[in-house]
Amino acid sequence: MLTVPHVTSYLTEHFADDDFGTLPGYERRGGYAAARKALTEMSPAEVIALVKDAGLQGRGGAGFSAGLKWSFMPAGTDKPKYLVCNADESEPGSFKDRILLERGGHQLLEGILCAAHATGAEKTFVYVRGEYAQPARTLSRCIDEAYEKGYLGPDVMGTGFRHDVVLQRGAGAYICGEETGLLESLGGGKGQPRKKPPFPAQYGAFGMPTTVNNVETFSHVPHIVRNGADWFRSFGTEKSPGTTLFGVSGHVVRPGLFELPLGTPLAEIVLEHAGGVPSGRSIKGVIPGGMSMPILPADQLDVPMANEFLRERKTMLGTGGVMVMDDRTCMVRVACIVTWFFRDESCGQCTQCREGTGWLNKIVRRIERGAGSSEDIDILLDVAGKMEGQTICAFADAAAWPVQGLLRHFRDDFERHVREQKCPFTESFEL
Amino acid sequence: MDEGRPRVVISRSARQRIDAEIAKYPVRRGALLPALHIVHEERSHVDPEIAVELAEIFEIHPVDVMEVVSFYNMFYSTPQARHHAYVCTNLSCSLQGARGLLRGLAAHLEVDEHGNTADGRIHLGHEECLGACAYAPMMRVDDTYHEDLDLESAKRILDGLS
Amino acid sequence: MPRITVDGNVYEVPEGRTILQALDDVGLLMNGVTIPHYCWHPKLSIDGSCRLCQVEVEGAPKLQIACNTPVEEGMAIRTDTERVRSAREGVMELLLVNHPLDCPICDQAGECKLQDYAYEFGALQSRSREPRRALKKNVDLGPTIVFDQERCILCRRCVRFCREIPKTGELAVVNRGDSSVIETFPGIPLDNDYSMNVADICPVGALTTRDFRFKIRVWFLDEVPGVCTGCSRGCNVHLGVANNRVYRYVPRRNDEVNDTWMCDVGRLTYRAIGAADRLRIPQVRNDRGVLEDVGYREAIAAAAARLSRLLESKGPGAIAGIASPHAMNEDLFTFRRFLDALGVEAMGAAVLQGEADAILITNERAANGAGARALGFGDPAQVVARIRDGAADAAVVFGHDVIHREFLGDPAALDRLDTIVLLDSHVSPVVRSAHVILPTRVPAEKLGTLTNCDGRVQRVEPAVEPVWEALAEGEVISRLGAALGLPGFDGDWDARRVSAAMASSVPAFAGCDVESVGPSGRPLRREGEPA
Repeated sequence: MLTVPHVTSYLTEHFADDDFGTLPGYERRGGYAAARKALTEMSPAEVIALVKDAGLQGRGGAGFSAGLKWSFMPAGTDKPKYLVCNADESEPGSFKDRILLERGGHQLLEGILCAAHATGAEKTFVYVRGEYAQPARTLSRCIDEAYEKGYLGPDVMGTGFRHDVVLQRGAGAYICGEETGLLESLGGGKGQPRKKPPFPAQYGAFGMPTTVNNVETFSHVPHIVRNGADWFRSFGTEKSPGTTLFGVSGHVVRPGLFELPLGTPLAEIVLEHAGGVPSGRSIKGVIPGGMSMPILPADQLDVPMANEFLRERKTMLGTGGVMVMDDRTCMVRVACIVTWFFRDESCGQCTQCREGTGWLNKIVRRIERGAGSSEDIDILLDVAGKMEGQTICAFADAAAWPVQGLLRHFRDDFERHVREQKCPFTESFEL
Repeated sequence: MDEGRPRVVISRSARQRIDAEIAKYPVRRGALLPALHIVHEERSHVDPEIAVELAEIFEIHPVDVMEVVSFYNMFYSTPQARHHAYVCTNLSCSLQGARGLLRGLAAHLEVDEHGNTADGRIHLGHEECLGACAYAPMMRVDDTYHEDLDLESAKRILDGLS
Repeated sequence: MPRITVDGNVYEVPEGRTILQALDDVGLLMNGVTIPHYCWHPKLSIDGSCRLCQVEVEGAPKLQIACNTPVEEGMAIRTDTERVRSAREGVMELLLVNHPLDCPICDQAGECKLQDYAYEFGALQSRSREPRRALKKNVDLGPTIVFDQERCILCRRCVRFCREIPKTGELAVVNRGDSSVIETFPGIPLDNDYSMNVADICPVGALTTRDFRFKIRVWFLDEVPGVCTGCSRGCNVHLGVANNRVYRYVPRRNDEVNDTWMCDVGRLTYRAIGAADRLRIPQVRNDRGVLEDVGYREAIAAAAARLSRLLESKGPGAIAGIASPHAMNEDLFTFRRFLDALGVEAMGAAVLQGEADAILITNERAANGAGARALGFGDPAQVVARIRDGAADAAVVFGHDVIHREFLGDPAALDRLDTIVLLDSHVSPVVRSAHVILPTRVPAEKLGTLTNCDGRVQRVEPAVEPVWEALAEGEVISRLGAALGLPGFDGDWDARRVSAAMASSVPAFAGCDVESVGPSGRPLRREGEPA
């Protein structure tokens, strides 16, 4: 059952209180004051500058500066401008947006209002993954409440600012979490990412200037507006300020969500907060940021969880989905799951991705069955290398990186399968 | 066919809901996914007749409707069982025994790992990550998540479906 | 106009274009600058999915797809570096992971871009040991196209074509990832007036025409440039010729006429060239009213004899000339001179009409209505009236369209004519009434020019040679004139010479003789324009 975070901070500190999810309960704790402040006391440029100064990085996996992204929206255009809230959370290992929707609906809406004022957007489309039926219903209720109170609609908080929120449900396709794949899906099409240029700020939802941000990204904004850039920077690292919600799963004693400052060492998250692996076992590997991010071996858990440090270890923060694997785990079976996922979820446009994800999966499965050769391992690396950096979107990179990571640190698992012509990890999880 | 007009298969109430969705979007076609969700509530799948009607409503070709239906996991073009039960078999769930759970449920329902029960009550299958990784293993039954499962609790849930 | 550098060479290109578009605009693409590509097509929207056209652009860390990268002043592009070659090899290898080894049974072999680029840019060996995906191999997408799902490389040109050109949108890509496959909607097959173009634009043998299926290997074909004669658009084509036979038409690109397309009906008019209903033997109707086979010389002598008798007794007013919009400018020019030399004033031509569309198909269902009119063959109404009234006693007729249409319900009216000299290529009901029948050639068998609906004069050259005796209409008339003793008619007819004479004596055709129009044709000169 989805539980409130084991460790909370400003985003989730009230999540244990049921009425925080209602408008009156939210307002009682200072909710919507930041939006009012932004709308009545700050210019759009000031809001953008504030968020830029605060250094808020997008929390959807790419880590792009939110304030900078907002500044790409064209000024002085008579085209309608839109925001899109990316609630398509589908990265394996990631479930933080789910709780932000379930328990922080008004916090999200307040962040959207601030962003709308900053960018001049007249409407926000919240795109919730189709399987999140319950969180979508909950958010829908929050949206209704906001409309009733006049915090959404033609005259937000009596300021004359107009803003509408439309909630659309996805229908089960990971690629709709990619910015332009989402925009295509929102438009009633297949979620096939678009060629860039043009970029969403020029040609976005329905061809209009659009900014897409993740649920969590929006959720930080009211706190920044309320407390200032310096306050925000008091959390996290210099390059990666603020907190984030780490979701820990896999072979740990206390799986769940943990709101912690960026830069918290991975070891602290896994061993201290999540209680480490059950007794009698040891850690073999940890995926730090959701399944697209390359795995780290047990001896690299010292890494601070922020992009500037993770990049040095050839991985990234992604969506903070920490997946822990113990010493019984067969990394080739892990590769089977990983490569199957990307094969299944590829939209199919680009040659390298469509054919490459299929080929990687077929090879890995053959190795797991005990029918692989050492050439196959080389081919895996070569094909993964040929998929990187050459496609319409980063999905092919996301499909290539985990394979590269597994071979970088656990090549021996693969070679044992080849030498022994079977899977030697008899105690590993079942495939 | 009646005087050259195709038979209307989408119910009036569904059509009203679809029209309400269309009103929210600057471009008509933006309401296609919401319309498909509405149709699936009524009918469990999109057959060619419905595709033709949707194509008219959204001013696109019928094959464009099928293109969209076929792209998404939650849309179907063939008749479905009354309930969908999907066990997540992605990494964190597999680490916690999801695959064994799925096999146990398949045996319990006497179906293949992706199959319909003989009485058309349940379709059992697997899905990719559903965002419940810390509460593994888990399954989605229609609109509801059932988390922190073991084989017995999962069986009880499925047995309780009518 | 921005200047860009490609592999060290500087070119000036149009503004506002992508790299592939700009190079195509200046005629360099795959013709000096090699950037292989599948999904891009000069006449369709940009897709960007095949990833084969990647090039190095100075200043950009990643390779860029040339089809979607806008050209900028000073841009430096390299198409042949190690990185580019490696990327191309990667794309080719991945495409061949699932593509079936069908070359021995595939129509596309010999003109297949997968073969060509795999050979030129791919690796020598395939490393894949995995079974290929198994899909349907012989799908009737519609009445004209056969689809092999396994061969498809998902470039989506066909999908974009149907949506953007005939706008019928019958095709779509369903599913996703490596389960993607192209399909039609049940009950809505691929069935539009331009359906066969998808076989041209398909880079591989996934889409082929039922018409050409298994007929001949393309490397046996000579591709002779020509023009379709199905309507007055004059879509440029290549005639695929082998064994003195035309096996197919495929469209030839002409941005002033048909872009890269042609309609299905026009595409299949090649069948008429070698059809069983060609007129093959000159015939003369004897005293008992029965048509007898004769030699060409005899037939012309018989025609001359009948006409001279009439000229003597009743003068040129008794003769009418009906031209055909299917004949070439040179034939019509000769006919006009002949009629003028005879003093015949009653002349005309008409074109059978059909329904035009907004794409290529025109109302006029003949290739040279505009040429006929420009050479003085106007509305034939008066001519037809004279025939009906009995005022004319003889008619020299090119083709059967007018006669057949006007006298379809009243063949007896034709019988009032003392003499019908029929020059035609195919059998028709008019044969029943003709007194002398002179088999003629069709444009695919001649050198000359045709004038399309926009007044563009386009060149045709002989692709096949009839194995029976058939002459160009102009040559027949030239011999007839000689037999009648007309000055200026010596029976020695040369298309090139006649074309030059036409260009120098008819102002509209200045510069439009067969040697000067070039492969893309040239517009008729309008009044007041310099030659």
